Amino acid sequence: MIVPEGILCSKSHEYLLEDGNSVYTVGLTDYAVEQLGDIVFVELPETGSEFSKGEVFATVESVKAASEIYMPVGGKIIEVNEKIVESPEILNESPFEEGWLVKIESPDAQAESGDLLEYSDYKEEIE
Amino acid sequence: MGNKTVLYNKHIELGAKMVEFGGWDMPVQYTSIIEEHKTVRNSAGVFDVSHMGQIFVSGKQAVDFLQSIVPQDIAKLMIQKAEYCQLTRDNGGLTDDLIIYHLDKELYLIIANAANVQKDFEWLTSKAKGFEIILENKSNEFSMIALQGPNAGKIVKKLGLKEEEQPHFFTIKTFSLNGIEGYIARTGYTGEDGFEFIIKNEYALKLWDMIFKEGEEFKIKPVGLGARDTLRLEAALMLYGNDLNEDITPIEAGLKWSIPADKKEDYTGKNVILSQIKNGVSKKLIGLEMTERAIPRHGYEIYFQGHKTGVVSSGGYSPTLDKNIAMGYVDTKDNITLDETIEIMVRNKLYKAKVVKRPFVAKRYKIN
Repeated sequence: MIVPEGILCSKSHEYLLEDGNSVYTVGLTDYAVEQLGDIVFVELPETGSEFSKGEVFATVESVKAASEIYMPVGGKIIEVNEKIVESPEILNESPFEEGWLVKIESPDAQAESGDLLEYSDYKEEIE
Repeated sequence: MGNKTVLYNKHIELGAKMVEFGGWDMPVQYTSIIEEHKTVRNSAGVFDVSHMGQIFVSGKQAVDFLQSIVPQDIAKLMIQKAEYCQLTRDNGGLTDDLIIYHLDKELYLIIANAANVQKDFEWLTSKAKGFEIILENKSNEFSMIALQGPNAGKIVKKLGLKEEEQPHFFTIKTFSLNGIEGYIARTGYTGEDGFEFIIKNEYALKLWDMIFKEGEEFKIKPVGLGARDTLRLEAALMLYGNDLNEDITPIEAGLKWSIPADKKEDYTGKNVILSQIKNGVSKKLIGLEMTERAIPRHGYEIYFQGHKTGVVSSGGYSPTLDKNIAMGYVDTKDNITLDETIEIMVRNKLYKAKVVKRPFVAKRYKIN
C-alpha cells in the first residue's frame, strides 16, 4: 500500500489530504480499516452539507460494530465516494486510493489542522 | 486481562485479534470474519471454545436434581444423548441456557456459557440441598474445540474415527485417538454438521494441531468469536445476554419446541411457563430482514405502524445472505405476522424491515 505524501492523521484515525484550492480528501487510515475488520456498510453525508471540526459526518459499520467518523477539520462536503456505498469492502482494500470517503472544501483547514499528525508520527502514536 | 485458554499462544501465533469475552481473552477473528464464516459454511472451521464451562452432576439423584431445575424431561434423556435446556428461575426467566449431556449412568455434563459459569454453579449449589448428588465445576480442567462445517465428518474420519464410530446428531461419546482421550459430541453453534471435543487441558494443543493436519486438504481455518456470532445468528440460535436473560422466558424466546408440556415433575418456574403455554405471552421473538439500507443491532428499537413495539436482541450482517438480519422481541398485542413491514430505529431514523422466518439460513445437521 502506498501512503500518499503529505497526509495528516487525527487521533480518531481519519486522514486529510490536500488536493489544492482549499479542497481536501477525507478518509480512514489503513490502521483504522484494519482494526475495524470487514466493512459492510457506509453512510455518507449529502453533498452541500457543512460540518465543523470534530463533528460526526459519516458512519462506517464492520461486521462487529458501527463506528462514527469525525471531521478532521471543518468544511463543506463537495463530493462523496458513491463507489464505497455500493461496495464497502473497497475501504478495507484501498483506504488511501479507491476507498476515500468525501471531498471537502475547507478554507480554515490550515488553522484547524494543528492537532493532526504526520503519518510517521501517527504510526508511532498508535504503536 | 482475562483468563487465557490453553490455546492462547496458538491464537497469537496465528495473528488473531483478541478480545475480552465472558472473562476470557478470546480470538475475535484471525483474518476476516466474512472469510471465516464462509469457510464454515463451505468446508469446515475450527473454534477454541474453551471459555465455555463444564459442570458435572453425578450421584444417585442426579436425574431427580436435573428434573427439578430445567423444563426438559431429563428422565427421558438416554445415555449418550444431549439436550438443549434452560436453567429457569421462579419468574420463568433464565439463569442460563445449556446443553446437558447424559454421559453415563448417574453422570451428566452441563455445558454453560462462559460468563455464567460461576453464577450457574452457585445457582445449582443453592438448588442442590437435599439431593444426593455431587456437583463439580471442572471448567478450569477442560478445554473445548469445535469443528464445524459440511466437511467436519470427513476430517473426524481422517483423525481415526470411522463413520460408524462417530456420534450421531445430538449425542456424545468417549474417544481415544493417538493418546488423546475425552468426549466427542455432535453438537455445535453454527447450524452446520459438526463436532465438539471436550478434553482435558493437556490434550488441547495436540488435538488442535491434529485437526489442522488432517483438515489441510479441506482448507479449514481457525474461526473466531466474530464469525461464531454471525453463524449462530443466521441459524437463529440464542445468545444468552442478547436474546435471553433473567427476565425473558423460554416461551417468549420461541423455545416452546424444547419444553414438554406433559412433564410431571415440578421445576423452577413451571407455573409461569405452563401458564404462558396456555394463555400466551405479552412479547415474542421474531426474525426480520432489512428492506432498506441499515444494519440492525442489539438494543435498537422496533416500530410498528408508528409506535414502538419492541427491541432488537441480536442483529447484523449475514455473510451467507448478503443481507442485514436480526431477531427481536415485539409486543404480542400488535399481532405482527410473517411478511409484515416493521421499522428499526437506527441513529434516530426509521428504516423498513420485513418479518421473516427463523432460521434465516437453513440448518444442515446430519441427522441419521
